[in-house]
Amino acid sequence: MTDVAAHPDADDGQPDERLAYRGVFTRMLVRPEIGAVIGSAAIWLFFWAVSEQFGTAGGLSGVLDVSATLGIMAVAVALLMIGGEFDLSSGAATGALGIVTILLVKDIGELGGAGLSLFIAIPLSFVVAMALGWYNGTVVERTGLPSFIVTLATFFVLRGFKLGFSKLTIDNISVGRIDEGHGFDFWHPIFAGVWVRNEHVWDTRDVVYTIGILLGLALFVLAIYEGNYLRKKEMNPAGLLMFIAGVAGTVFGVVLMHYTSGVSNDIISGLVIAASMILGFIGVALWRYEPIAGDNSIHLDSRVLELAGLGIVVIVIGVVCALVVDVDGQQTILDRLPVVVEWLITVATLALTGAIAWRRSGGGTSGSEQRMALFQAGRAGLVGAISMLAFMFMTTEQGLRAILFVGLSTTGLILLAMAALRARKSSPLSGSLILALNSLVIAALALFIQAESGHPKFRTEIFTVMMFGAALVLAWALVSSHYQQRKAADHDADRLSTLLSVAGLVAVLVGLISRLLWTTTTENESGVAFASFRMSILWFIAVTAVATFVLGRTKFGSWIFAVGGNKEAARQVGVPAAKTKTQLFMIVSGAAWLVGLLLAFRLQTLQSGTGNGLEFEYIIAAVVGGTALTGGYGSVLGAAIGAFIMAMSKQGIGLALWNSDWRFAFLGVILLGAVMANNFIKAKAEAVR
Amino acid sequence: MSNLIELDNVGKFYGNIIALKGVTTTVNAGEVTCVLGDNGAGKSTLIKILSGVHDHSEGTYVFEDEECAFTSPRQALDRGIAAVYQDLAMVPLMSVWRNFFLGAEPTIGRWPIRWVNKAKAKSIAKEEMAKMGIDIRDTEQPVGTLSGGERQSVAIARAVYFGAKVLILDEPTSALGVKQSGVVLRYIVEARNRGLGVIFITHNPSHAYPVGDRFLILNRGHSMGNFAKEDISLSELTQLMAGGAELEQLQHELEQAVSGGA
Repeated sequence: MTDVAAHPDADDGQPDERLAYRGVFTRMLVRPEIGAVIGSAAIWLFFWAVSEQFGTAGGLSGVLDVSATLGIMAVAVALLMIGGEFDLSSGAATGALGIVTILLVKDIGELGGAGLSLFIAIPLSFVVAMALGWYNGTVVERTGLPSFIVTLATFFVLRGFKLGFSKLTIDNISVGRIDEGHGFDFWHPIFAGVWVRNEHVWDTRDVVYTIGILLGLALFVLAIYEGNYLRKKEMNPAGLLMFIAGVAGTVFGVVLMHYTSGVSNDIISGLVIAASMILGFIGVALWRYEPIAGDNSIHLDSRVLELAGLGIVVIVIGVVCALVVDVDGQQTILDRLPVVVEWLITVATLALTGAIAWRRSGGGTSGSEQRMALFQAGRAGLVGAISMLAFMFMTTEQGLRAILFVGLSTTGLILLAMAALRARKSSPLSGSLILALNSLVIAALALFIQAESGHPKFRTEIFTVMMFGAALVLAWALVSSHYQQRKAADHDADRLSTLLSVAGLVAVLVGLISRLLWTTTTENESGVAFASFRMSILWFIAVTAVATFVLGRTKFGSWIFAVGGNKEAARQVGVPAAKTKTQLFMIVSGAAWLVGLLLAFRLQTLQSGTGNGLEFEYIIAAVVGGTALTGGYGSVLGAAIGAFIMAMSKQGIGLALWNSDWRFAFLGVILLGAVMANNFIKAKAEAVR
Repeated sequence: MSNLIELDNVGKFYGNIIALKGVTTTVNAGEVTCVLGDNGAGKSTLIKILSGVHDHSEGTYVFEDEECAFTSPRQALDRGIAAVYQDLAMVPLMSVWRNFFLGAEPTIGRWPIRWVNKAKAKSIAKEEMAKMGIDIRDTEQPVGTLSGGERQSVAIARAVYFGAKVLILDEPTSALGVKQSGVVLRYIVEARNRGLGVIFITHNPSHAYPVGDRFLILNRGHSMGNFAKEDISLSELTQLMAGGAELEQLQHELEQAVSGGA
């Protein structure tokens, strides 16, 4: 094999000269579900901040409950979509299969129903489900029509059947009751068991939670270090000692914060945490990484100063807003403001957005260009004004305060980060300088929140996390300007980096789960924690796990990607394309059967409209999770997280005491935002490949 | 052993249309038989007959001393005749190793708990590609990110690994630049050196001549002749392929047009 010899770097782990080095983290971004993961964290934080109940075990059990039925379907629909098809009958099928089961067990005496035992009815309705999926798949394959049309027809047929059969057999559009069936006591715990955790009080829960989150973040940072910086030839033990001291100090600080109260004590423990963190991170850097040689100049151009200045101004405005607006106001803004002011604000928004659009388009020179620019300006103004009205209509004063403060301070921090990125281009040290400014601002914001906030969770948890963040950014600033970045792969370091990020993830999960499964005395006293977990959550987890395995590790999984990506190619190499697609339709209807039973056993009586219209929510969840509408790309885990995001939005709006009529508007925004973010990340990731 | 494939007077009619007539050639193990022809010359019809998409209408098609008439590509594939089509039969968003083993994934475990042996699949894919003289950096990368020549090599390596005796390549260089074409031509030689009979279909005689051992020239559905390499030169090949006299006429007209314009 002389040709192999011509490529000496083929197998010895050396980098390929055609391939730029790609860090562990860039490679992680290639995963389709990454957008959903980031999005769900952001939305969780958002609702956690604005709602009293959302972050408690009770609130989360509700979110999980909603995401379970949605998620089981979303997972199946994602598989089908990766296989390149749609199923618009999936929503109606959930209700239909539940109704079929109930009708099968209903007593003959009461106008129809077969009067079967549940032990027969449940397998029988499963057979019906398989037949339904087989029908959809076969018709799509045989006729070659788009699945969109075929399953739309099935959707209408099912809708008709549900109504027609219900009326025909029991003369009622609500079909019940499954609990009269024989064997109900056996099946009920399987499909609708409830696990109440209200008595499980664990008062140190918040310590575990906070430490879990902080530890997780710290491990992520260490993973980034390990994945990005060049290792020293000989490790420096002094650094290790510093690191250990830092860790000990941080733990001490967190415990101190939890067991003391009062502003001054909190400040002391906060400072202890921050100092220890910085010590720890610098210790690690000293211990393991190769220092940089050379360039120590500081150069800040006007654009950097502009960005940084603007960032600080925006944050100050946010702080002022938080001070000015009423803390406890529950009236909506529209109710509070005089009509004249409302209209002034609306017209001002219209004028402002219109003017911005006009300026951006440059006005145009010729007549037609000017008309076009005018039209665009008018359109932008109208959208701005309507959004402003809607915003004023649905936001309470308290909400406004939170939104203004969070929005403005986040914007300011982003501007500062942009300034840091830009400064970094001229020299590492100037970047670090701006980063240090960033860190100071975060710390200041943390102190402000602690002093001003009305709720203990902000005073302790947010404060801790933000202090931690400030320390992190400062440590980052110090390390990034003094140590050398790695330019080539290092298998040991990459493995360690991956291990550290997995450990970080586990720590975060332990924190979240402890929060989910235990309540504290304070929560019980204020009556916000009613945590009851339903069996459907376990089904959801099981379905997601099995589907992930099937898609990622089995023949069938490969075939799903293949038939969705290039059906002809798949067929040419011997993949049974038609069979694969039909099986996918059967998986969807099987999931619909499961969800139908979960609903039937939960509610005992199903309305004939149950599930109608939900098919689009399944598709949205899959798409939010990174599944391509065109097929051939996507992830099951992403779809599950997508369902979680949708459930959070649905529940969160209710728990935040907003008018729940607006949740569809929220969903629409999330859908668009998520897809745009996914595309952006995918493009970035493909560019680095 | 005698010839792998022997075609004698093979022809194909679609109703009253004569798509192909009087094709006679041979394919030997360890040799490249080039099929040359302009657009509409009947090359595609010939591939379809060879790879089992269509049956032939007249003449004889002998594979390994046995006359055959395939009715599906699967039959041909099972006998060891693999076609690599122009559109490559690759799924662009899928990783190299998944594409390589698509439809024939190595598995561990028993049904219903049976999964793909990812490590084995990845190492075999890398190894087989290396044998073709190409080093794939990361078999997890999607095929869509490979260059055209590399994709061809994945398809060729796959066919070779799954026991092809005859490899039919349909215009593998037509969509490629000069350098990429050179790479693909090297894979063709590599496959030949490994003892496969290669049928290389192209409309570019300068690609065919360096690698071919035997040339079959088609024009408007008819065979213009079947030559061994020592019997024909590159310029004769080009002449024949374009229909000889027609090309001279064209050259003449072009010269006139150029001088007239100047």
